[in-house]
Amino acid sequence: MSVEMETRSPAPRPTQTAKGRLRVLAPPVTGQEFVLIGVIAVLWILLAFATPAFMSAGSIQPLLGAVAPIALIGIGMTVVIITGGIDVSVGAMIAVCSVITAKLVLVQAGLGLPVALLIAIVVGGVLGLGNGALIAYGRVHAIIITFGTANIFLWISLRLFNSSTVNNIPDTLAPLGNGAAGRTLGVPNSFLVTVVLVAIAWFYLRHTAGGRHFYAIGGDPLAAQLAGVKVRQRVLVAYLLTGLLTGLASCIVVAQGSNLGQNVGNGKELAVIAAVVIGGTSITGGRGSVLGTVLGALLVQTVASGVTQLGWRSELSDLFVGIAIIIAVGADLIRERARRKR
Amino acid sequence: MTVPTSTEPDVAGPRDEESGSPTPERGASPLARVIRSLLTQRVVLLAVLVVAVVVYFILLGQNDYLTGAYDFDYMSAALINAVPLAMLGFAELFVILSGRGGIDLSVGAIVSLAGMVFGFAYGQWGWPLGVAILGTVLVGGVLGLLNGILIAYVGFPALIATLATYYAFKSLAVVINNQRPISTRPIQDLYESTARSVELPVIGSYIPDLPKGLFLFLLPTVIVVWLLLARTTYGRRVYAIGTNDVAARWSAIDVRVTRATAYALSGTISGLVAVVTVGQFASARPDAGVSGNGMALPAITIAVLGGVAITGGIGRVSGIVLATVLIVWTNAGIRLAFEGNAGPQNQLLALGLLLVLAALLNGFAVRRYGGAG
Repeated sequence: MSVEMETRSPAPRPTQTAKGRLRVLAPPVTGQEFVLIGVIAVLWILLAFATPAFMSAGSIQPLLGAVAPIALIGIGMTVVIITGGIDVSVGAMIAVCSVITAKLVLVQAGLGLPVALLIAIVVGGVLGLGNGALIAYGRVHAIIITFGTANIFLWISLRLFNSSTVNNIPDTLAPLGNGAAGRTLGVPNSFLVTVVLVAIAWFYLRHTAGGRHFYAIGGDPLAAQLAGVKVRQRVLVAYLLTGLLTGLASCIVVAQGSNLGQNVGNGKELAVIAAVVIGGTSITGGRGSVLGTVLGALLVQTVASGVTQLGWRSELSDLFVGIAIIIAVGADLIRERARRKR
Repeated sequence: MTVPTSTEPDVAGPRDEESGSPTPERGASPLARVIRSLLTQRVVLLAVLVVAVVVYFILLGQNDYLTGAYDFDYMSAALINAVPLAMLGFAELFVILSGRGGIDLSVGAIVSLAGMVFGFAYGQWGWPLGVAILGTVLVGGVLGLLNGILIAYVGFPALIATLATYYAFKSLAVVINNQRPISTRPIQDLYESTARSVELPVIGSYIPDLPKGLFLFLLPTVIVVWLLLARTTYGRRVYAIGTNDVAARWSAIDVRVTRATAYALSGTISGLVAVVTVGQFASARPDAGVSGNGMALPAITIAVLGGVAITGGIGRVSGIVLATVLIVWTNAGIRLAFEGNAGPQNQLLALGLLLVLAALLNGFAVRRYGGAG
């Protein structure tokens, strides 16, 4: 959108260089992301000095493994938030997908890895499609619909759990888990999958027409509609994508343990949203990147891991997550104000 | 946090069928008028639903489908659950009314943290009950004010600010007493004095016993909130800034003070709920407001179900009260209709379906009649 405004504006400011006027996209790595990279680097260095154990493979590998599901769902959540929506049902969605995968597919049917992945992703897709259809075509505020569907999903998962945890899950999904089978060259496969998908999403959102449409919708849905964007269809796709990725993330969650408690996914929706907003995506829509989301998830997990390794109470990490959100979004607000003044 | 995607694109398209004009009041058939008031007057719809639910469960009970009697004693005992629910619904009412994506995700965390403070003050330091309650409510107000300052003065979107403080308060509540609940003697005795059912004087013999919390906490809150919103200039200011921020500023309303106060009030009510919860559990639990689904979610559900427009500026006290009664009595019936864990689980389904249907109905009513009442 900003392209046309810039080039069509009758009198460009004289100080603007040709390069400045032609710049269509935000820089590949934005200010917020540089800040995050810096903060994470500083935290890692400090933690490395404070607890020697932090810089060991035994500490970094689980950290990356924990980042993976949050960042994966974060890709979808970023797209949803860019369109100006939100999805608070992903936590309950994880519960549904993971109980189906663990209990029905792995324990009871004993099916293989590809089938389990496929089923989890399809189930996630169906749930996401439900959200998307209600939001795009029922034309209701996303936060309300997804609060509602979160309850319904939770009900589905609890019925499937049938009042007991799922035990003795076979290690069919080990290639995605935390064990030795789940690593390639020492890096958890789950994290590698995340990196690949983030790269694809980053390119798609930044360099294709379909990706830019999401930003257009978040900026001004009416203008986007008039410019020929199929607004409802794109919104539907955003929630569908979140559902599919949640299905994939659920497989990672299942793979990371041999038991599955009924509270799986509890509060994960807020963790994902926290990662997205720390990553600099504007909650009002129209601005954001998946790269920031991954960094946000990495920051949150670093804090959580650091707090436990320093021997502090693990609940204290939530306090730091809260503070991180305030600082990250506050910094963004200040920069935004400075941009407007210029 | 807004989702203009859902409604606005339609402006370009054709308006909905025949009754495009928003005032088909005169000349319409009685049936059309009934349907119209059901769809646009949330209070009417809720009242009808409450009656339907009660009649349905009483019939089920008479035909022996329930595990216990769904009678007036049971219904009035169930009302104890309405106390925290409705009060937090009012907390959300204030912030959602104040507009600009107003929402408060931190109410449950405030309940936990203020509840721990109450536990310390009354249960361990031996403060007099009145002073302890006052202090707890004050703590809640200060925590809410923190939200208000972040949102109204610094300019944080409400969802983000309250998400951050939700994490922070939740963590503090757990850490403050090393994850241990406080349930000393005075705290245990609170149950007797706040949550038990009592017979009313004079008319008590004609109606079932009612939980004390209804009169000690809920009724005063309802009256104060109603007076504040409907009978004071502050209330009108909240509606004004929720309806149109800019217009409110041009009519010399201090938008920032008004909005920050709305969040402070939300925190204050949450502080009072903390006292109620401690009394109900007979223990100050560090996870009181955030365990399981938390308290914020049901509170927002109540508000939306009660007809509060998430875009701000529309919402009534009576809607919140009726929505709470509907949820509480539905849940009470479901508890009797299913055995074991199926009951609480099906309550989730009922809550989710009610919320989705209410939201869809809202959208439909707005499009058909141009603005819900």
